[in-house]
Amino acid sequence: MSKTVLIVDDSATMRQMVNFTLTGAGFTVVEAGDGADAVKKLTAGTKPNLVITDLNMPNMDGISLIKEIRKMGTLKFTPILMLTTESTDDKKKEGQAAGATGWIVKPFNPEQMLKVIAKVLPS
Amino acid sequence: MKIDLSRFQAAFFEESAEHVTTMEEGLLQLERRPDDLDLINRIFRAAHSIKGNSGMFKLTAITEFTHLLENLLDQLRTGQRTLTKPVMDALLESTDGLKHLIEAAKTGEAHDEGRIAILRERLTGGAVHIEAPPVAAVHSPRASRRVKIEWTPGPTLFQRGLDPVQIVKELEHVGRVQTILRGLEALPALADLDPERCYLAWTFVLDTAESDQTIAEVFEFVREDSQIVMEADAASVCPSIACDSVTPAVPTGTSVPSRSTATGDVPPAMVPNPAGPVAKKSDGASIRVDTEKIDKLINLVGELVITQSMLSQLGNHFESPDLPVLQERLAQLERNTREIQERVMSIRMLPVAMVFNKFPRVVRDLAAKSGKDIQLILAGEETELDKTVIESIGDPLTHLIRNAADHALESPEERLALGKPAQGTVRLSAYQEGGNIYISVQDDGRGLNRDKIVAKARASGIIGPDEQLSDEQVWLLIFRAGFSTAEKVTEVSGRGVGMDVVRRNIEGLGGTIAIKTEAGQGTTFLLKLPLTLAIVEGMAVRVGSETYLVPLLSIIESLQPSAGAVKTIVGKGQVINVRGLYIPIVRLYEAFHLEADHTEPTQAILIIVETESERVALMVDELLGQQQVVIKNLEQNFHKVDGIAGATILGDGTVGFIVDVRGMLAISRGVAVAA
Repeated sequence: MSKTVLIVDDSATMRQMVNFTLTGAGFTVVEAGDGADAVKKLTAGTKPNLVITDLNMPNMDGISLIKEIRKMGTLKFTPILMLTTESTDDKKKEGQAAGATGWIVKPFNPEQMLKVIAKVLPS
Repeated sequence: MKIDLSRFQAAFFEESAEHVTTMEEGLLQLERRPDDLDLINRIFRAAHSIKGNSGMFKLTAITEFTHLLENLLDQLRTGQRTLTKPVMDALLESTDGLKHLIEAAKTGEAHDEGRIAILRERLTGGAVHIEAPPVAAVHSPRASRRVKIEWTPGPTLFQRGLDPVQIVKELEHVGRVQTILRGLEALPALADLDPERCYLAWTFVLDTAESDQTIAEVFEFVREDSQIVMEADAASVCPSIACDSVTPAVPTGTSVPSRSTATGDVPPAMVPNPAGPVAKKSDGASIRVDTEKIDKLINLVGELVITQSMLSQLGNHFESPDLPVLQERLAQLERNTREIQERVMSIRMLPVAMVFNKFPRVVRDLAAKSGKDIQLILAGEETELDKTVIESIGDPLTHLIRNAADHALESPEERLALGKPAQGTVRLSAYQEGGNIYISVQDDGRGLNRDKIVAKARASGIIGPDEQLSDEQVWLLIFRAGFSTAEKVTEVSGRGVGMDVVRRNIEGLGGTIAIKTEAGQGTTFLLKLPLTLAIVEGMAVRVGSETYLVPLLSIIESLQPSAGAVKTIVGKGQVINVRGLYIPIVRLYEAFHLEADHTEPTQAILIIVETESERVALMVDELLGQQQVVIKNLEQNFHKVDGIAGATILGDGTVGFIVDVRGMLAISRGVAVAA
């Protein structure tokens, strides 16, 4: 069965690109426009094997989303990757403290993204 | 395998344009509410999004430029810099610069580097600092060696969704994992054990030809929480692997560098491909559809409405035992058809904000140029209008707003002397009432100057020296071609595009424009526009055996005149006196060469219509009732006919013509000339 990835990004372009890449790699993709939308979809029953989230988003940002997800019993150990443009360690530290598994630094290319996913998602 | 993402570039450009608009609007609002953190965050997010996405397409110029913009915004956010006017100007001009960069990237042309360089300097306040993109790690083959890695993860390993097995798997990609030793020292007594915490440690012995850097990358996500010690193992270089590298091997035995800057190898860019397939933007919430498709759909629905009303008419005169059932079903069909029609029409509807949103910038620039303090208030931006109408009202509205800002509003000194607040206000609002949309442009300036307008009209011979006009008639003079009372032509207005063009544009859309003004208090222009251009509310009228439709929007009243009210005026033909106002009569049967039931106005019906602020009485035999019809263009299918705006198919399946009210006015003038 194909694995489900939840993509959370307020940029439709970014979501499309990630979706295109992941669908091509055999994943099932669910999209959310911001943290609040993601929480809504998760509480409505979406069970992703992996969450990829942007950090800067309206309504609910990525860090808060990660904290929310870690509070959900069934998603406690689900890998979460954050998309960040920050090359500084601050955001990474903040993300790790919130429970993020790893990060993908923008700009990335599809191959890099798939590589990072392989790193955290048991095949 | 290379995954090509260039097809998403079109979507990127579109999204970026939206972000730039968000930034521009946000900045203008920020000027009034400089402490609004939410607002700064919103602007920041927009810039950030452009930065992140442009990087994906290797549009470096955009990435670097937005990076500077973002830095400045961040400094505002954290209070390191304050929002002074020069800063605001720099930000606003940079959004223009950003537009230019995006446009250049879109067309594939080189951008104006001089312009961008100046903006860069203004954004940074002179100190340009562009963060160098991370340098790609150079991979060179290395001799195989044996490395011992001791890894003690932090206790929260599992809580971050990490799995030690994944690390082992990845290490196996880097080299051959010879042994794995478990470290159990930290394991507590069973009673104290928290199953969600990690108490284990591992030691790996790895044979690898890869650099320390590559090995470190395996631990990238756990490095922060973990203790990692990496050292060369006693058994060293494996001779089986060629050692043709000129790069000296990195000395082993060092621990993993605490911070890695490499993000892995950077393969060739996703080459921008403007000629590539254009991605249709879709984000779940909306899809983009060619307007032509929608227009075809609207047309078809129009046909459906006609077919349905033909069926309904047929149903009224049907002989069948099932008649009640048939009529019930027909009523149902009518409801559904109406709903489909409304829904389809709504596809073409866009919020008027699409037009309104450009005005804050227009007004700001005008204020800056004229030295006035002007506040623009927008209201009802969510009101929806047909796309064609939206596209056509931009210019007239711009003209009205420029007029208001440039002519109507006084200078701050003048205003204070008059006891008004120094800041002038222009209010632009939209609302829906019935089947019409109203847009008003209101200023609190000096109001129209009656004496000046009359004097000018007399001087140019538009009105006679002794002609007395009501206030209303005076205001309407400003819509005459070539009429401008601006004493001097300023940079922003008075460039020959007059109010006559504004009125013509609005009336071309089937709308009207009205003026309300009070000396010293200000002026309001009220635009009344149809919701849509595809459908017209009409009054069906009969002339002889023909049915015509008169647009409801232009009808003032209908009446049957008494004998005394109809007068013949030399040079003006027959007129009717309606409460003191003489209105020329146009006999439709004469205009269209028909046989009518009545040739005497006192027996016929007169419909008073108004356009271009002038009235005409149309003489018809009978009023048949109000009807909504779908306009079919006559020019496209036949040719232009004077006095006819278009055709439609009526409920009984026959063709009805829609009367062109402006054409009728021309005919009435022609009558005047002929007589």
